[in-house]
Amino acid sequence: MNLKIFLFIKLLVVVFISSASALVIGSDEEEIYIDANFSGKNLLVFGAFYSDPSQARDDKSDILIEVVGPSEDVVIRKKESFFGFWLNSKSVGFKDVPGFYYLSSTNEISNEFLNENNIGLLNKKDTQLIDWSALNIDWGNIRDEKDKESFYDALIRTKEIEDVYRKVNGEIDIIDGNLFRSYIEIPNTVPVGQYKVNLYLIIDNKISNEYSYNFMVTRVGIEEAIYSFSKNYPLIYGLISLLIAILIGWSGAEVFKRFRKI
Amino acid sequence: MSIYLPIAELSVNIFLLLSLGGVVGFLSGMFGLGGGFLMTPILIFMGIPTNVAVATSANQIVASSISGTIGYWRQGLVDFKMGGVLLIGSFFGSILGVWIFSKLVALGQIDTVISILYFSLLTSIGMIMLIESSQVIRDRVRRKTVKRKIHYHNWAHKLPFKIKFYKSKLYISAIPPIIIGFVIGILSATMGIGGTFILIPAMIYFLGMPTSKVIGTSLFQIIFVTALVTLLHATTTFAVDAVLAFFLIISSVIGAQVGVLAANKLRGEEIRALLAIIVLGVATKIALDLLVEPNEIFNISIIRALF
Repeated sequence: MNLKIFLFIKLLVVVFISSASALVIGSDEEEIYIDANFSGKNLLVFGAFYSDPSQARDDKSDILIEVVGPSEDVVIRKKESFFGFWLNSKSVGFKDVPGFYYLSSTNEISNEFLNENNIGLLNKKDTQLIDWSALNIDWGNIRDEKDKESFYDALIRTKEIEDVYRKVNGEIDIIDGNLFRSYIEIPNTVPVGQYKVNLYLIIDNKISNEYSYNFMVTRVGIEEAIYSFSKNYPLIYGLISLLIAILIGWSGAEVFKRFRKI
Repeated sequence: MSIYLPIAELSVNIFLLLSLGGVVGFLSGMFGLGGGFLMTPILIFMGIPTNVAVATSANQIVASSISGTIGYWRQGLVDFKMGGVLLIGSFFGSILGVWIFSKLVALGQIDTVISILYFSLLTSIGMIMLIESSQVIRDRVRRKTVKRKIHYHNWAHKLPFKIKFYKSKLYISAIPPIIIGFVIGILSATMGIGGTFILIPAMIYFLGMPTSKVIGTSLFQIIFVTALVTLLHATTTFAVDAVLAFFLIISSVIGAQVGVLAANKLRGEEIRALLAIIVLGVATKIALDLLVEPNEIFNISIIRALF
């Protein structure tokens, strides 16, 4: 192909893109390693509103960052009083619940918008809008809607206290009107596995563009080795634990033998 | 400085762990008790999950009872034959115990059951110790010496399958020691204790064993019960935390030896009374946790993680 024609086409494409609203992402990490000394880490998510840097961001466009961690099955149990004793009684099983969930936006995003677009987990006030059938839940013997809500709220509340569910706004920095940057705190209690980052460009309350990428959270170090060994080779793990106990117990008796005779 | 416990999945202060092990070890060396009955509830208070606390305590008791057994064995105070017969019972008891334990974990009732068991156990031990030590103190004040019976003849001598235990100078049925062993096995697996404080009186009063041989023999059989319990927990509940166990073992073995030295130099009754009060304090805390309405009536447990 003629080089001149090629350059001309390329120029056309660039002009075309920059005239439309776009979302450009520079991702930071593909893998986060958690070891014993891990005290939480800031995941950097950054990018640009438009591919053409000269185009300024208008006030109506917002960025929404969603981070969804690997799913897990959990059981929520409710304590009830039996003859003065507080015992676990009713329980609800929630399947495929994200082990980590983070939602951040430049401006406060309405719950209606989140519900419409099926984004969000933390819009607690609107539990009546939640389509229970879309979630994989084992309700046990619970029928009452109010009860269902209380269990769902308890799940979200517990996860929020553990710092693995968060909803924030105004924590995304805008630089030069077009670039955005956000540090997302990953606490050391997060589960390991694949995480998904979803970015949405919202203009006039509509998703104008979206972009997703994945990253991994992996546990490393001696503690992780011990953990996986205990799961993969439980019998050998048990025998080694015993051997350590026997050796220390025995040598303790030997070392202190001479003191005993005093 | 804190350390991450891989199985408990949380970080704890290393000095807190070492002092816990040291203090419990000291008390166990001083009074010839295993110390599991204090170790497990305190670990739970520290936030260690109940199943990890129970399974890891069992692992720790293996070390402390080996250390103790060697000392008694050197003085010829271990009746291996009696220990072996007790073990037959505890073998089946601990298998049943771990099975009950894993069923309770699945039902979500393990915390409650453990709390109730510990409350009853600690209350009775605390009361007995308090009454006994205050009597000794009172007798000492009155300059009285207490005479004890040397040998008991009871129903243990009338049952079939009689065995001669030369070391203990006994000729009794094998059934009572097997039953005692069975009960200790269940308690050891479900509560993470060696069970010395139940085993010792049971061996003295039900079996009529001479007091001098009782502690060494009970420690000897506890090595094997807790070793079996450790293995069963490692393979069925996956709750043995080797890192937690390591720090508890190191500190408790040292603490136990210091406790033995201290026991020779200090008068025990006052400290025993103090220990009784600590034990009753722990029991009260457990009772309050059960009886006071919790701030959060919901609790969560993860049953399947991705990895």
